[in-house]
Amino acid sequence: MDTLAASLLDGLLIGLLYGVAAMGLTLIFGVMDVINLAHGAIMALGMFGVYLLFSEMGMNPYVALIAVLILGLLFGVIMYFVAVDRVIDESPLASLLSTFSVNMIIIGIGTAIWTTSTYNVEYSLGTVETGPFTVTGARLMAAFLAVVITALLYLFLNKTRPGKYIRAVSDNRGAADLMGIPSHRILALAFGIGTAIAAVAGGMIATIFPITILGGSTYELKSFVIVVLGGLGNPLGALIGGLILGAIEGIVPVFMKTTWVPVIEFGLFVGILLFRPTGLMGTKK
Amino acid sequence: MSILEIRGLEAGYADLQILWGVDLEVAPGTLTALVGANGAGKTTLMRAVTGQIKARSGTVTFDGDDVTGLAPHVKAERGLVMVPEGRHLFPTMSVLENLEMGATPKRARDDIEKNFDLVYELFPRLKDRLSQKAGTMSGGEQQMLAVARGIMSSPKVLMIDELSLGLAPMLVIDIFRALEKLLTTGITVLLVEQNVRLALGVSSYAYVMSEGKVEMNGPSSEIAEDEGVREAYLGI
Ligand SMILES: Nc1ncnc2c1ncn2[C@@H]1O[C@H](COP(=O)(O)OP(=O)(O)OP(=O)(O)O)[C@@H](O)[C@H]1O
Ligand SMILES: [Mg+2]
Repeated sequence: MDTLAASLLDGLLIGLLYGVAAMGLTLIFGVMDVINLAHGAIMALGMFGVYLLFSEMGMNPYVALIAVLILGLLFGVIMYFVAVDRVIDESPLASLLSTFSVNMIIIGIGTAIWTTSTYNVEYSLGTVETGPFTVTGARLMAAFLAVVITALLYLFLNKTRPGKYIRAVSDNRGAADLMGIPSHRILALAFGIGTAIAAVAGGMIATIFPITILGGSTYELKSFVIVVLGGLGNPLGALIGGLILGAIEGIVPVFMKTTWVPVIEFGLFVGILLFRPTGLMGTKK
Repeated sequence: MSILEIRGLEAGYADLQILWGVDLEVAPGTLTALVGANGAGKTTLMRAVTGQIKARSGTVTFDGDDVTGLAPHVKAERGLVMVPEGRHLFPTMSVLENLEMGATPKRARDDIEKNFDLVYELFPRLKDRLSQKAGTMSGGEQQMLAVARGIMSSPKVLMIDELSLGLAPMLVIDIFRALEKLLTTGITVLLVEQNVRLALGVSSYAYVMSEGKVEMNGPSSEIAEDEGVREAYLGI
C-alpha cells in the first residue's frame, strides 16, 4: 500500500510539471489555432539553458529558470514574427510545416553542438521526509513552481490589460482590431509566453532528470495527451490533465511493467479523441 | 468641412468588385444615414473604410488626414471606430471586460470613467450584468453592448452597421432613443440601418446605396419625400 501511495505521490508531483509543459502548447493553440511542433525542441533549449547557466556560469539552477523564462519569451516573439505571422491566416498545414521547420533547425544545431549525449545538472535540494514518504527536494520544488506558474498565468490573463488583450484576440481577432488592439503584436506576445512556459518546463525537467537535445520530444508527446485530456486551449485544464497523466505514471508501474505506461497513455489519448474530442473538461472548440 | 470624406472608393472580395466609386461625406457632430437594399454594398463600404478590406482605388480622409491604407487598429486609435454588423463581441469575456476592451485607444483610457457613466446612462441594463459573459446575453443586450463598447473607445466618428437588426420592436425604439441621447454629446455617427423610416427620422443627411454606388443623397427630410425611396423602402 505504501509503495502505491509513494509512487502515486511521485507521479502527481511530476504530473504538475507535465501540466506546465502542456500549458505552453495549449495557450498558443487556444489563442491562434497553431499547433507548435517546435514545442519539444523549445523545451530542450530550456533544458540546455539551465544546464549551461549552471555548469558554465555557476548560476543557481532556479535563478537560471528566470533567465530561461526571459530568453524563452524573446525567442518566442522572434519565432512568431519569423515563422508564424506570415502563415497565421493560411491553412493549419502551413503553420504545422513552418513550426516543424523551426523544430528541425533547433534540433539540427543543438545536435551539432551537444551531440545527442546525456547531460546532468549536478545540483541537489536534498530529500524531504513526511511520514512514510520520501521525495526529492527538486521534485517538490518543481511541483511548487508549476502551481506558481499556473497561478501567475491565470492572473495575467484575467487581471492585466495585456492579458485581456490576449483573450480578446483569442475570442475575435477582427473585433479586437476594430477596438484598436494591435492583434498581430498581441499574437506575438501570446506566442512568446507559450514559448517561455515551455522553455521553463524544460528547465525544471533538467533539475530532475538527465537531459539530451532530443529529450523534449517525449514531453511534447505527453503534452499532446495532456492537452487533449484537459481540452485544447485551456491552461487550467492542462494542469489537471498533467495530474491525471502523472497519476497514471505513478500507479501503473506498481501493477505492471513500466513499458505499459505509454501504451495506456496513448490508449487514453485515442479514446478521448474518439469519444470526447473536446477533452474531459474542455468546452472550447 | 467634413470629418470623414470618402472619394471614388472601389473595393471588393478576391476577383469580385463590389464598390464602384463611392463618394460620401460626414459632417462633424451630425448623424448621417446610409441605407440601401440587401447586398447593395453597405457593409463592404464600412469594411473598406476601416481597412478590413483593401481599397483598390479612391481615398478615405479622416480628420484632415489621408488614412486610406491604415490598418483598422491604427484607425481606431485615431478615433475612427466601427460597431460591426453581427455584433462581434468577445463572447467568453464579461460585459465589463468587453467595455474595457473598447477603451483601448489612449484617448479612451483617459476618458474611461466619463464613458462608463455615459454608457450606463444610455443602457442601464448593462450595469446590472457587468460580470455576465457577453456570449450568454440575449440578442438585444448583445447589440447594446456592441454599441456601448464602441462608445467606450471615445470615437470621433462612430460607424454603426445595422443598429436594429434582429431586435424586437420595443427594443428598436429603446436603442434609437439611446442613439438620440448619444447625439446630444456631440458625437459624429455614420449609421447603416435596415429600418429606413427610423434612420431617416434620426439623421440629418442620408445616402441611398444601390449596386455598389451611391444612388442618391441629400438632407434626410428630402430623401424621405422622394417617390422612389418611399416606394422601395418605406412601403408607401
Ligand atoms: N466575404 C465576402 N466574400 C465574397 N463576397 C462577399 C463577401 N461579403 C459580401 N459579399 C458580397 O458583396 C455584396 C455586398 O454585400 P454587403 O454585405 O456589403 O451588402 P450590404 O449592403 O451590407 O447588405 P445587407 O443589407 O444584407 O447587410 C453581396 O453581393 C455579397 O454577396
Ligand atoms: Mg450589411
